[in-house]
Amino acid sequence: MRILVCISNVPDTTTKVKFSADNTSFDDGGVQWIINPWDELALTRAMELKEDTSNGVSRVTVVSVGPASVEPTLRKALAIGADDAIRVDGEAGDAHYVAAQLASVAGSGDFGVILCGIESSDYNGSAVGGMLSEILDVPSVSAISGLTMNGEEVTITRDIDGGKEEVSVPAPFVGVVQKGIAKEPRIAAMRGIMMARKKPLQVVPAVDAETLTETQEFAMPEPKAPCKMVEADNVKELVGLLQNEAKVL
Amino acid sequence: MDKQIIFLVTLLVTLGVFGYTTRRFIGFFKQTRGGFPVKQLGRRFGVMMEVAIGQTKIFRRPVMGLLHALVFWGFLVILIGSIEMVIDGLFGTEKVLAFLGVVYNIIMASGDIFALVIAIAIIIFLFRRLFMNVKRFSGIEMKHISHLDANIALTIIFLLMVSLLGMNTFYLLTAAEAGHEIEGVYPVSTMLAGFIRAGSGSHFWHELNWWLHIGLIFVFANYLPYSKHFHVFMSVPNVFLSRLEPLGKIDTMESITKEVKIMMDPDLAFASPPEGAEVEEETPERFGILDVEDVSWKNYFDSLACTECGRCTSVCPANLTGKKLSPRKIVMDVRARMKEKGPGLVKNGKEYSDNRSLIRDFISEEELWACTLCNACAQECPININHPSLIMGMRRYLVMEESAAPGELNAIFSNIENNGAPWQFSPEDRMLWAEGKVEVPVMADLLAKGEKPEYLLWVGSAGAFDDRYKQVSTAFAKVLNHLGISYAVLGVEEGTSGDVARRAGNEMLFQMQALMNIEVFEGYEVKKILTCDPHAFNTFKNEYPDLGGTYKVVHHSQFLRDRIDEGKLTLNGGSLSGKKITFHDPCYLGRANNEYKAPRQVLDALPSTTLEMDRNRSFALCCGAGGGQMFKEAEKGEKEVFLERTEDALKTGADIIATACPYCMIMMTDGIKYKNKEEEMKNYDIAELVAMSLDL
Repeated sequence: MRILVCISNVPDTTTKVKFSADNTSFDDGGVQWIINPWDELALTRAMELKEDTSNGVSRVTVVSVGPASVEPTLRKALAIGADDAIRVDGEAGDAHYVAAQLASVAGSGDFGVILCGIESSDYNGSAVGGMLSEILDVPSVSAISGLTMNGEEVTITRDIDGGKEEVSVPAPFVGVVQKGIAKEPRIAAMRGIMMARKKPLQVVPAVDAETLTETQEFAMPEPKAPCKMVEADNVKELVGLLQNEAKVL
Repeated sequence: MDKQIIFLVTLLVTLGVFGYTTRRFIGFFKQTRGGFPVKQLGRRFGVMMEVAIGQTKIFRRPVMGLLHALVFWGFLVILIGSIEMVIDGLFGTEKVLAFLGVVYNIIMASGDIFALVIAIAIIIFLFRRLFMNVKRFSGIEMKHISHLDANIALTIIFLLMVSLLGMNTFYLLTAAEAGHEIEGVYPVSTMLAGFIRAGSGSHFWHELNWWLHIGLIFVFANYLPYSKHFHVFMSVPNVFLSRLEPLGKIDTMESITKEVKIMMDPDLAFASPPEGAEVEEETPERFGILDVEDVSWKNYFDSLACTECGRCTSVCPANLTGKKLSPRKIVMDVRARMKEKGPGLVKNGKEYSDNRSLIRDFISEEELWACTLCNACAQECPININHPSLIMGMRRYLVMEESAAPGELNAIFSNIENNGAPWQFSPEDRMLWAEGKVEVPVMADLLAKGEKPEYLLWVGSAGAFDDRYKQVSTAFAKVLNHLGISYAVLGVEEGTSGDVARRAGNEMLFQMQALMNIEVFEGYEVKKILTCDPHAFNTFKNEYPDLGGTYKVVHHSQFLRDRIDEGKLTLNGGSLSGKKITFHDPCYLGRANNEYKAPRQVLDALPSTTLEMDRNRSFALCCGAGGGQMFKEAEKGEKEVFLERTEDALKTGADIIATACPYCMIMMTDGIKYKNKEEEMKNYDIAELVAMSLDL
């Protein structure tokens, strides 16, 4: 069985977000790009599944939609251990466009498990996974926090309110993963980075697909109010502040 | 003549066995990797005279140190007598060196006295081993065989001394009987001879003792290489072959430099090979140490010279607080693993595998990750064994070949790679510490104005992001402004020195940071770097030159001391008058770089009094944060290192514990909190104390 892990190229989580002058696009000047943390966990789990040979995972492929600038991120995924990478050469306009591109890649290969992070840490749309399964017309399971294989049979654990749910699903399927799918993200070892240089990174043209959404405007959140300190024994002031300013009482 | 033939045969057998042993060890050495080249012979000779012949390091424990030194010096003198015995035995002469006259008398007299001294010392050693519960002699690595080995060797030495005295005593009696002139002077034996009634048996007893003594020497010589007492042969050369670099310096992996340079130039990294050119890239050999064939010849030499005295382990902060790590065990494991795998390697070549390895089958990951890289073990070792180089080598293997660092360390690797600091903060926030508190010039601004400051002030990630330590950056900047020093910081262009990444085993990440920093420094034509962080200080000073960055690096303690010496700082204001201050030595200023004086001179200039902890200067205990420990949970043990150290400080009764390192500050502040002593004791950096007494 082959596993496809969809990778989103996102700004490092410490990035100071800035927008273009007209507030309609993200200003990516000087930004350090990383693998979307949820995708990184999905890749880590995929590698773990492949390493246990009893699972019969033959190959782990990573795919990303974007211009050549996403290639370093795909290389990182290869360094972590993916066997090959595919870049769909197109501008990731919105979830629908991305899902359509991914579907074209996923549909053209013999992938049993297709993994996506539950959301990307930049736009947090949480839509690609669901759309992808819809376009592919395969089942999808969302918010996966555990995935084990027993031959062709896949058992999935989901966190639900107050407990866990176990589901099984026939391959091929789209798994939308959240934290917990792997304990800690794997990082690339020196040896892995060197080997990644020799692994295939295939660039495929984008298929025709519509971008269904249009960004009107981005706005920064209001800065947080400064922290107010109250003397330890001044209960009256505390109550006053909670009542009148915070309005929680 | 018969005697000569018997002697010759015995000697040849001894040399034969010894030759076999030597060949065996040479074969093992051939399996190891290259280490440093042996240069600077003059300096090496000096180190040997001081540390080996002068026994300086063994005196770090004065009482047992003296006993050992006496045994060692005694051996040297008695060795001359033994050489004489060999010549006598071969050529049938008697006391062939007697022609040396007075010199001979001195040698014989001191040898005779030393024989008694050594015998007494050996009795004390045996008593300590057999009847006293000396902690240093126990530990997971000290198996029954180790104890037996020690006791056998001590017994042989004791018998050697007894036979030597016996030989001398009966020589005197024999000579007296025969009316011969006595060659040499034998104070102890003269006394002993007084107790024995002269009889016709003296000659026999002399012969017996002579043969016993030389026989024991031959047996001993061939027993040693298979015992921990190989030390007797190997320790002096081991000291001569000492690593001469500062303890704080970690060797640069050149194979990584090559890779990192390719990596930092993406065009080069992923360029498709030129058409038609079949470029078969050679795969560099294994990064770091997985097994015994990956250790350097010096690591193996160390392991053969080690006599398992345990001084290293007895000062190891990890071991002292109940963690599994014992530096002595690491060294012993190298020797044991070579003994196990060496013959197979010699026979079958480098590819030989017995499906076991030094890591995991001998040394667990838990041991490796418990080390704080404080260098206390290497400092303590009487024969300059370098344990941290082994631990580093194994960490490098785990990280660079297997990505098998503890999760928290993997997280800091990612942070360093993505945002240039071990903590997850945006590089754009690197100047927030100064905002609204102190005016700090920034390199880029000065360059725009065409100015070039004298010093680059390296703030460091803790200096920019740790809430407590930011106050130290502020205080020091205020002092610099007060002094009117020409300096600037890099601000948002600053990254991390790479110290943590390197010591956590990620040489690749270290070199990437270092090469990037060197490029930035070059851009601003930096000549002098000033920093409050001993780790950055050590890395810039000792480690960057290997990668092409050479600067004059000054720690703030040295800088402040120099200004005090120049009379530019008068420190009598503030509230420090009458306070008692104790100083906690940072490992990377002290042991790593031998700077114990500067911070103390700064403290002495304050209107306070200074108290010393029991463990101070080169004996100081680590705060527990070095070697990546700052960013991970401590390995399993009985206690946290920082608490052990906080207790040292509390014991002095000081009001203030002065630190000179960001990690030490974070640890000591935590320790004081943990011990609920925030009322009684405060923790300040020396820069803050100076700022306080300047009323800044």
